[in-house]
Amino acid sequence: MDNFQKKFLEEASDLINQLEQALLTLEQDTQNPELVDSIFRIMHSLKGGGGMFGFDNISSYTHKLENMYDLVRQKKLKVTREMLDITFESADHITSMLNDDGTKSNEIKRNEEILNRRIDAILDGDNFSDTSFGPAESLEQTVSGVKSYYVKVKPYEHIQRNGTNPFFLIDELVGLGKHKVNIFYSNIPDFENFVLDDSYLWWEIILSTDKDEDAIKDVFIFVEDDCEIVIQRISESDIFEMPKVAPLLDCRQDFPFDLDKIKAICQEEAVKEKEKSEAENSENKAKVNSGDEHIKKFTKESSISGIRVASEKIDDLMNLVSELITTQAGLNLYAEKNKDAELTRITENLENISRQLRDTAFSITLIPIDYLVVRFRRLVRDLSREVGKEIEFEARGAETELDKTLIEGISEPLMHILRNSIDHGIESAAERMAAGKTPSGKIILQAYYSGSQVVIAVTDDGAGMDPKKIKRKAIEKGLIAADSQLSDKEAIDLIFMPGFSTSEKVTNISGRGVGMDVVKRKVSDIRGTVQVSSSLGEGTTITIKLPLTLSIIDGMLVRIADVDYIIPLSVIDTIFAVEHEKIVSAFQNVINIEGSQYPFYYLRDEFGLTDSAPAKEEIIMVKYEDRKIGIVVDNITGEYQAVLKPLGKLYRNQDIFSGASILGDGTVALVLDTHKVINQFTKYNEL
Amino acid sequence: MAKTILIVDDSESIREVVNFTLQNAGFEVFAAGNGIEAQKFLDGRTIDLVITDLHMPEMDGIGLIKYIRATAGYNRVPILFLTTESQLAKKIEAKDAGATGWIIKPFVPAKLLAAISKVIR
Repeated sequence: MDNFQKKFLEEASDLINQLEQALLTLEQDTQNPELVDSIFRIMHSLKGGGGMFGFDNISSYTHKLENMYDLVRQKKLKVTREMLDITFESADHITSMLNDDGTKSNEIKRNEEILNRRIDAILDGDNFSDTSFGPAESLEQTVSGVKSYYVKVKPYEHIQRNGTNPFFLIDELVGLGKHKVNIFYSNIPDFENFVLDDSYLWWEIILSTDKDEDAIKDVFIFVEDDCEIVIQRISESDIFEMPKVAPLLDCRQDFPFDLDKIKAICQEEAVKEKEKSEAENSENKAKVNSGDEHIKKFTKESSISGIRVASEKIDDLMNLVSELITTQAGLNLYAEKNKDAELTRITENLENISRQLRDTAFSITLIPIDYLVVRFRRLVRDLSREVGKEIEFEARGAETELDKTLIEGISEPLMHILRNSIDHGIESAAERMAAGKTPSGKIILQAYYSGSQVVIAVTDDGAGMDPKKIKRKAIEKGLIAADSQLSDKEAIDLIFMPGFSTSEKVTNISGRGVGMDVVKRKVSDIRGTVQVSSSLGEGTTITIKLPLTLSIIDGMLVRIADVDYIIPLSVIDTIFAVEHEKIVSAFQNVINIEGSQYPFYYLRDEFGLTDSAPAKEEIIMVKYEDRKIGIVVDNITGEYQAVLKPLGKLYRNQDIFSGASILGDGTVALVLDTHKVINQFTKYNEL
Repeated sequence: MAKTILIVDDSESIREVVNFTLQNAGFEVFAAGNGIEAQKFLDGRTIDLVITDLHMPEMDGIGLIKYIRATAGYNRVPILFLTTESQLAKKIEAKDAGATGWIIKPFVPAKLLAAISKVIR
């Protein structure tokens, strides 16, 4: 298959994704002409692309759908349930045409005949109606008078000599409206050449204000001859209202705003605004040449949405960036030893750049969770129909971004959790009514950042879990002893045990066999944790916590017997210094610190080290499930940004190190996976 | 603490208008009738801003500006001078001497305060 076809396939599956999204929204809001427009546009692009890249079957099939939605656009046809169903099924049909390797063509053909007949029924039927849409409401054009400017202020070095304080000018300028300020430090000379009275900073400001350009000029009236000043109007409207611009306004010191790009977006927005108002004006008159317009609109949108890059290339980039960070650490160390001002300056500049490069490279690998949500919506819709339950699905924080490998890894566990909620969690309408609940259930997927972690929580308002029932089941299955004393929480946690399933009967949705233990394992494969909380009759929440990225972690560099180890900062709660005496005399590995009892692990013992420990050691309290558990190390070197490298074959069988990192001086530090450390040593000690 | 401003002008009415406006705006105001008086006043004191007329007997505004810039401890004090639109050449001369900015006569209180807010905060 040639490259263009491949690209079309990728594009087409994106389009199908968009189509499903639009359909789901249209289902809620059948009167929305924008959605109909976008569905029409999607059909149109599938038809065009299909014809161009040898998918004639797709082209001819989408042609019919396109016609149908064109009639809707022209208000000759009304959106019906049947129409939505057909389109949903068409999405599947098109997907199977795209993926067909020739083996299923008969099946596809049959399916297509049926769908075609159903479409024809709509097109020929008497459902034509001219009352389906109300008159288009004319959107009121809000003329706020706010315009956006780019201002560059670069004072000459002598500016402060006549008593001018450039900061006041910037203060005054930003007082005019909404703003983003970029500061440039790069002109500051090294210490020897630094003149106290001279001014080295300069600024770029993006400003949205309702004041006119003269007001901006007026700010600099006294310093026209003492500064380089550039004032450019970049938009006739408020740039801070354009979501596409926002990422370009992230202030990164010493890196100028990408003015060309910002201007291009402003231009686009202006064109869109214009088109919108023109379209509104001419909607009632012109219907003829709307075809071209849509092609134009589509190509424009796709040209700005980004470029496709093979994921191996991104992986390569990430590897190189990781190497760069490691090399950078080495350079830092060298520069620190050789107290050369110029070398220090260059090193610091380079560090600044590598850090920005790292952040930018990472942001490339991030994908919003929304990417999964579309799939989930469809899943909830289809499954809830299948089991005859009414379930509403809500996604919050879908814009939260995650590393692409994490997105891939989390998809299946989340699907499983949703299936469980639909199948076992949410009760039937009758049961819900009897329990005094609304007949339709609700599942909420919520994603948000929490420190260096991303939290994804799935909450349903279903029946909840009964700890007693779970415990009984676990005893029946021989997973726990009959006389085990378990708290309710501990009982609920039993669902994570292998081979556990409380469902009375096997259903084809969540089935048996694959249980929550698999969810837990899959999540911990990507260094995440799963927690469940449930209250009987009210519902269940399953919370997944994931690291933001897999390849670089913020860590705490510690030493044990002159060897470096790294503990991820994200798990560290507090650190205390303790006397060695206190550890030796601790009873049952429990230590009393500031009035609280903490269990702890003495890594020197666990590692089997016999040389003498320092008199004062550090105990690091790490978060383990809901508790804090101490891990004792010799001393703490400091924070360190660790590039995670996998361990070699020889070390594959150990379980307590998640990887290794090369330090600035070339030595290797092992990264401790505290979760597994605690698990492993707990097991070992119990035996 | 209130910012301190020295107004230097040979016209008493100007001094009073400026004094009144600035005191109402919360500044602590001192006044001098010409450059020499201003010099005497400044000797050993700190001040946050000097506003001076250009045309004055004894020592004129340009001379005062030059003196202030040349005196240790004052070389960074902002200086505004009072001028009329027509005096472009004077404006350049004053800026070259080290003035920070200017206030165009006649002025309304708001304009005076706007000019001041550009140089002290």
